[in-house]
Amino acid sequence: MEQNKEMTASESLALIAETMNNSRRVILRTNAKHFILWGVLLTVLSLVIYFLWHSTGSANWNLLWFAMPAIGYGTAALVNNKKDADPKNEISRLLGLSWSAFGFFSVVLSAIAIFAVPMNITLIIVLLLGLAECISGVILKSWPIAIAGMIMGIGGAVAAVLLKSEAQLLLFTLGGLLLAVTGLVIKLQYK
Amino acid sequence: MFPKLDPILHSELRLAVISILAGVEDADFSFIKKQTGATSGNLSVQIDKLCAAGYITVEKGFKGKMPRTTCRITEAGLQAFSNYVTALQEYLSAGK
Repeated sequence: MEQNKEMTASESLALIAETMNNSRRVILRTNAKHFILWGVLLTVLSLVIYFLWHSTGSANWNLLWFAMPAIGYGTAALVNNKKDADPKNEISRLLGLSWSAFGFFSVVLSAIAIFAVPMNITLIIVLLLGLAECISGVILKSWPIAIAGMIMGIGGAVAAVLLKSEAQLLLFTLGGLLLAVTGLVIKLQYK
Repeated sequence: MFPKLDPILHSELRLAVISILAGVEDADFSFIKKQTGATSGNLSVQIDKLCAAGYITVEKGFKGKMPRTTCRITEAGLQAFSNYVTALQEYLSAGK
């Protein structure tokens, strides 16, 4: 696009549509990276805590969950530490806000459950995870993601009551896989 | 009587730049360059023209030690872009 040529009305409209679609695709592909990153992290961490809990019999390994935000945001900062930041649009802003709200509620409620009022924190977090996933699906206008979020939230909440001790952690493994798959779906959708 | 097309926007590269900025909060110079496929020199000139018209703002800063130029559309730019698209649609519907 070197020439500052004059264009016809239809050429101008086509250029506008093409340019806006291209930048939207690039921005959403960047979001896909974040879904994959957090999904892989959740899967790996849940399996690590599961095996540590299972082999030692101590539930204290759950404190490792508090390292997740530091690891996740640290890795995200490294991934984004390039000279040229990708821009944000309304969709990426809404996705960021939804998942930040999920992170905030999860960390605060986990702290309350551990240090003040005991509660079935797996049920609450898996429900929040499903809700955030469902909202992401609605924002992205992707019914498979929205429905997967509903199944995760509702099915996960029921399973969290039925499953005991470390077996509950496997729900987060599934949740992590779901996030990573969501990232792959976005990547393919906006190829 | 057709509305006159905004001469600032009725140029391929400037229109592409404003179209990118209309859909994002802000964008780096290098992102715009990559998306438009323009050379740095030509893009700088067109960005200066959009800036002089008050359609975009340009902020120069650093990310780490690397210089960074960030562009953002203004209210006037959004209004001009909206008027331009409306005018194009009127031209096209009149031609049918």
